Amino acid sequence: MMCDKCGKNPATTHLKTVINGAVKEDHLCSFCAAEIGYTNFGSMSLPNMLATVFGKTASTALGVSNKRCECCGASFSDIAQTGRMGCSECYSTFKAELLPTLNRLHGKAVHVGNAPKTDDTKIKLSEKIAELKAKLSKAVSCEEFEKAAELRDEIHRLEGEQNA
Amino acid sequence: MLNWYEGFDPKNPLVVSSRIRLARNIKGIPFPKRMSDEQKLDVLNKFKSILDGVKLSGGYTLKYINMEAVPEEELFAMVERHVISPDFAKKQGPKGLVISENESVSVMLLEEDHIRIQVILGGLNLSSAYEIAKEIERLLSESLPLAFDNTLGYLTECPTNLGTGLRASLMLHLPILKQSGMLGSISDSVSKIGLTVRGMYGEGSSSKANLFQLSNQVTLGISEEAAIENLTAIATGIVQKELSARDGLERRVIENSVYRSLGTLRYARLLNSEEMMNLISNVKLGIEMGILEDINPALPISLLVQTGAYSLQKSNGRMTPADRDVLRAEIIREKL
Repeated sequence: MMCDKCGKNPATTHLKTVINGAVKEDHLCSFCAAEIGYTNFGSMSLPNMLATVFGKTASTALGVSNKRCECCGASFSDIAQTGRMGCSECYSTFKAELLPTLNRLHGKAVHVGNAPKTDDTKIKLSEKIAELKAKLSKAVSCEEFEKAAELRDEIHRLEGEQNA
Repeated sequence: MLNWYEGFDPKNPLVVSSRIRLARNIKGIPFPKRMSDEQKLDVLNKFKSILDGVKLSGGYTLKYINMEAVPEEELFAMVERHVISPDFAKKQGPKGLVISENESVSVMLLEEDHIRIQVILGGLNLSSAYEIAKEIERLLSESLPLAFDNTLGYLTECPTNLGTGLRASLMLHLPILKQSGMLGSISDSVSKIGLTVRGMYGEGSSSKANLFQLSNQVTLGISEEAAIENLTAIATGIVQKELSARDGLERRVIENSVYRSLGTLRYARLLNSEEMMNLISNVKLGIEMGILEDINPALPISLLVQTGAYSLQKSNGRMTPADRDVLRAEIIREKL
């Protein structure tokens, strides 16, 4: 549908006025609508938009509003106002409050992509290697060479795993 | 090694560049907006010790830059070269950047998220770009606990990035689809399958250089590989549409506009950026259609980047718009 007034641009603003029972409909493009004072429909930033989505939940979740995230100190109303989380822990702190919004944003989708490779395993592996190395030097200093050889092989094996 | 605007993919001449961005955060510390300066400096030091001087398997050597010390002109010149985001350039307080020599790989530290890995390669090359980004992610995840949840995926400041935290984009040159008005309906249909098209230079779906960015929007419930395949397939389809629209045009008319544009670029004494972008797009079209054969095919985009307002000022200090128009015309005359 093209603009009723200029006929040049697509109509994006639809006005319905009722005067003494008589209904009048106008379909205008954003420029013609701006001329008669209807502006700013389109200039909504993403955080703004998210904040309105969160806001809906926030007003129904007022009972829990004094809970704060232990990691970053954010309250749910901080999140609802900005549309932004305070830290990664907020997702678990405010899990129940966030769920309706997350469902609205992503549907019932569940993550199916990659996960961090190492998160715990590799960090634990390097701790284990450090521990074995300490044992190895102790074994060497006590002249327990058979044990030292075993430890050395184990360290090599784990280092191989680490670089895999 | 060439950067994204110096390369040219002869198999996919309409695909200017492929970009991968991964958003990551560290578990247990606030997102940048809620961090104290002290926390920021501490985290930046950690990032520096992990990534500074690292050599990646593709031959990229990484270097850490303290972004607080970089002058404003250079920051915005980096924006023009797509190395950093405009928001990151404007951001106050401690912030860091890890970057490869040719600027194809960059990691924004303490932007919206703690970590924003970005890889831009010339041509159609999303999978290679993703492999490089993954290598950097692995380096970070070996030393730092990354914020991750089995259901929500990688946890990000903005809940729209949850999941893979992956934004993949292809920059496409689509002058005829733009002129014929077909781009609007294409952009409607791709939005139904979770992609967006937006102009690279200029607001909304308009673009002065007819360069458009096709990106994925959905990050939760789709794997990285599937998102990349999807995007590549749709981009290939859009490029086909552009090519068949070109076939329907009278060649003499296109030749006329290509040569007129080349003439103006070669002889003009004043070029404002809007006019330059239009003309550059026509010359690029001429190269893609085999009308102009003696021009380095990567030159149009390279000139577009080099003659951006901030890139000009970087080497010449602050300039008035009129002075920039003179210098822009000079540079283009010399190189084209």
